[in-house]
Amino acid sequence: MNEFSRRGFLGLAGAAGVAGLAACAGTGTSPTTGGGGGSSNTIEFWSNHPGNSKPVEQEIIKAFEAANPSLKVKLVDAGKNYEEVAQKFNASLAGGSLPDVVVVSDVTWFNFALNKQLSPLDELLSSAKIDTSDYVDALYNDYNLDDKHYALPFSRSTPLFYYNKDLWKAAGLEDRGPKDWDEFLTWAPKLKAAAGSDKIVMELPDGSNYLDWVFQNMVWGYGGAYSKEWTPTFSDPNTVKAGTYLQNLAKDGYLKLSKDPAPDFTAGIVGCSMMSTGSLGGVAKDAKFPVGTAFLPGDGNCPTGGAGVGIPANIPDERKKNALTFIEFLTNAQNTVTFTQATGYMPVRKSAVELPEEKAFLEKNPNAKTAIEQLPKTRSQDNARVLLPGGGARIGKGLDQIVQGQDVATVFKGLDAESQQVFDSQIKSKLGA
Amino acid sequence: MQSSVTQPQSAAPRSGGPPPEVGPPPRRSSGRAWEWSLAALLLLPNLLLLIVFTYRPLLDNIRLSFTDWNISSPIANPVGLSNYIEWFGRDDTKIIVRNTLIFTVATVGISMAVGLGLALLLDQKLKGRNLVRSVVFAPFVISGAAIGIAFQFVFDPQFGLVRDLLARIGVASPDFYQEPGWALFMVTVTYIWKNLGYTFVIYLAALQGRRADLDEAAEIDGATAWTRFRRVLMPQLRPTTFFLSITVLLSSVQVFDIINVMTRGGPQGNGTTTLVYQVYQETFVNQRAGYGATVATIMFVILLAVTVVQVRFMDRGKQA
Amino acid sequence: MSTSTVVGTRDDEQIPSTGGQRRRRRTSHQVEASAHHRGPLWTAAGYVGMVLVVLVIAVPLFWILLTSFKERGDIYVRPAQWWPDPVTGQNYSELTTRIPFFDYVRNSVIITSATSVAKIVLGVISAYALSLLRFPGRSVVFLVVIAALMVPNQITVISNYALVAQLGWRNTFQGIIIPLAGVAFGTFLMRNQFLSLPGEIIEAARLDGAGPMKLLWRVVMPMSWPTLVAFALITVVNEWNEYLWPFLMSDDETTAPLPVGLTFLQNNDGVTNWGPVMAGTVLAMLPILVLFLFLQRQMIKGLTAGAVKS
Repeated sequence: MNEFSRRGFLGLAGAAGVAGLAACAGTGTSPTTGGGGGSSNTIEFWSNHPGNSKPVEQEIIKAFEAANPSLKVKLVDAGKNYEEVAQKFNASLAGGSLPDVVVVSDVTWFNFALNKQLSPLDELLSSAKIDTSDYVDALYNDYNLDDKHYALPFSRSTPLFYYNKDLWKAAGLEDRGPKDWDEFLTWAPKLKAAAGSDKIVMELPDGSNYLDWVFQNMVWGYGGAYSKEWTPTFSDPNTVKAGTYLQNLAKDGYLKLSKDPAPDFTAGIVGCSMMSTGSLGGVAKDAKFPVGTAFLPGDGNCPTGGAGVGIPANIPDERKKNALTFIEFLTNAQNTVTFTQATGYMPVRKSAVELPEEKAFLEKNPNAKTAIEQLPKTRSQDNARVLLPGGGARIGKGLDQIVQGQDVATVFKGLDAESQQVFDSQIKSKLGA
Repeated sequence: MQSSVTQPQSAAPRSGGPPPEVGPPPRRSSGRAWEWSLAALLLLPNLLLLIVFTYRPLLDNIRLSFTDWNISSPIANPVGLSNYIEWFGRDDTKIIVRNTLIFTVATVGISMAVGLGLALLLDQKLKGRNLVRSVVFAPFVISGAAIGIAFQFVFDPQFGLVRDLLARIGVASPDFYQEPGWALFMVTVTYIWKNLGYTFVIYLAALQGRRADLDEAAEIDGATAWTRFRRVLMPQLRPTTFFLSITVLLSSVQVFDIINVMTRGGPQGNGTTTLVYQVYQETFVNQRAGYGATVATIMFVILLAVTVVQVRFMDRGKQA
Repeated sequence: MSTSTVVGTRDDEQIPSTGGQRRRRRTSHQVEASAHHRGPLWTAAGYVGMVLVVLVIAVPLFWILLTSFKERGDIYVRPAQWWPDPVTGQNYSELTTRIPFFDYVRNSVIITSATSVAKIVLGVISAYALSLLRFPGRSVVFLVVIAALMVPNQITVISNYALVAQLGWRNTFQGIIIPLAGVAFGTFLMRNQFLSLPGEIIEAARLDGAGPMKLLWRVVMPMSWPTLVAFALITVVNEWNEYLWPFLMSDDETTAPLPVGLTFLQNNDGVTNWGPVMAGTVLAMLPILVLFLFLQRQMIKGLTAGAVKS
């Protein structure tokens, strides 16, 4: 009956009023000082255990506690990937109970730093007399905002060029990666002939799964970029050139996009791919053919990736000091070697490669060596991807569209405009604070 | 003040007058206050929980929809209606609403129809029906995230079951993950597969509890099976159908895990993005929690309106 | 085969005319006058239907089961390998050793039981009040309860996190259970059910002098048993699979339930071995399926116990 719904609306409004009074009682958008909870001798470490690293983390924690008897570390399962850790951390910002150390990825750290939720580490580091020059420069400077550093590198990765040595041999190619993308284009027809109809020459992750990360290598290879500092440069002719190259690869049947190239490559139906160093262990174990790894094409065009560890801003200084002691230990040369050998990430200290365990390990695992030797050739990612909110997803969408055949110049022009708009509305006012 | 949703439906030949309404007891002199107290006692715990843990956040969310709030920032700037104006003007809004509509309508229609069919089938006394009932119910038991993972083995363009089956008949498998139309198809089919157990179990319970005397009366009257279905069974199932049409709609609009695991809202950015996924994306990926709150509020209002319409439609039908 | 004349248990000849099992109705085949006789054609059609159902629905289930017994290298092969060769139980052992599997199970059992019991009780009494008691604003309250179904949980979690953290309930069972205990779905379902009960029985009980609680316990609930069982099953499933809220609230295996725990088998930033993940899915399904098999029989038993013919 009409009566039912009319009363219903009125009633809902009334009920809303009552509940509204309850809502006034604070929702936690005010900054929490003191961070609630947490005794100052327990360091709460929020991690997603990147690369299935929980056992290794626990091992390092035990060593830390042995070396620092007055401190304890509580390892918290903060999510299954970097996004979930960020989600959990954001929830805690609203409501207290902050951790002491939190894992922040290449795309999540900046928003926290910009909104003053991560502590700048420089003063803490200098007062603890910690020398940061041993950190790999590119990896450490990834966390630089306004000349302050907001995290220490922890589980860092780069993409590698993986290739199927058997297919390379069948195509008559030398056993190495292409030196640049133009050379790859000359190889592609030979690879296609050798691959036949049921194999794919090259497979890359799609736009929802970080194509935008590896594509930076192509863009930089052609002299373009997503952005220079804060200015979007998608419409730069070189960037467009790279986009056209990608589109043509797909059009000519050399490139396929996929949710995850690793299983396809491992099964032997894909000739080559660009994937994270983190996949190396799994791929090498499962592949039934010799796996080749190489630098990404080009020179000095390798983007970095992965995550670091940061310290929340709104916890008492005592806790910050303890947290710093721990993260320095976590990322020192010895422990970075232990961590990366177990997981496939890159050692974050320059001196790490000199340690005997690492030398022995690299001898036995030449593919791991490739990633490390590529480290000096890495370059920080473009702001438009890592520092603009939603940057990766935005660019990934554009790249998906390009591969599907949309006009490159138009799509990139749209990316320019969107990125600029996001910068103006969300970032500009907060910079330089 | 009686609610009108009380008449048990029966289109069977009537022997006496209409059955008395199910409703409140006859009033006693001191009864009213006592009845109110009892009602309050019974309702209060649940209402309190809902108010504190569902409505308080909802109202907060509505408040935030009028602000520009970065999720990590302690400050939310009021911006009036500009989030709403933005939502109504953006291109991706049309795509997202369309995706939501297709997904929801397909889910509601198919899972209810098939669920009813399954319930009718497995209501009959057939050997092994308990096992088949478990099979039908089993997908519902699995979490959305686990199904999303498991179904990559179904729809994977290189290794999936669909590809395998299509290859046997010589057809190439579409790339479910890269083509927006197919991706939407994939997540819809996956969710329907999971949700059949729900509509099935509710219809089965309704069938088990229906009035045998009406069925027998109709049979004795010589009605055909189809007539019996249409005139005796369906009307009895009306309250159940009404209930399911609302709850399946509401739960399908809020599907998140399957989309998040399978496609992350892609391909091409929003090929499988629905309203609720947009809330997540705007809030946690684009960091614009104020805009995300706007989308959530709009979604809530739409659902409220649709439900009220459904209720009124049901009521009007009952008066016929 | 003869049947009893008790409400509900029946051999019948209902032919599903809708749904995926599209069977042509035989217009020439007349229905028998006796309610107990069932034609052989219908029986055969019924079995065909069941086989179809099992094929379509069970194939992905079957695939999950098979994959859980495959070795790592056999999972991604082309053409798809249907039968594991060799069959290996190593995924299951990896599942129970790589993560604290039984801790997660224990937590899941605690959280699911407590939340389900709370929801079922609250749902039944709320539905009862909203259908069979009289007070002003009844419709309004009902609408308020239903509207809770329209609120996506992404927007409630942040605000609830703040509240629960302030109460000091982070990483505790009560912090996980209490915010989940409010029930809208069940209230709706049971109210619907109570309202569809035959009025004459309620009247008769009242005239016999039954008070409201007695009415609920002795008359209304027994007649609503199948729906109550369905309610219980659906609630248990939903609580067993609850992910977002427990994820935010729990720190580690002292309180994290199975859905959260199983994600740690996956490797973000690397290659996941899906064998143990599938094994985890299988083991996570089993308790609920067992419960379903058990409660199914209750659904029928309850019918024979309660109904009264006028």
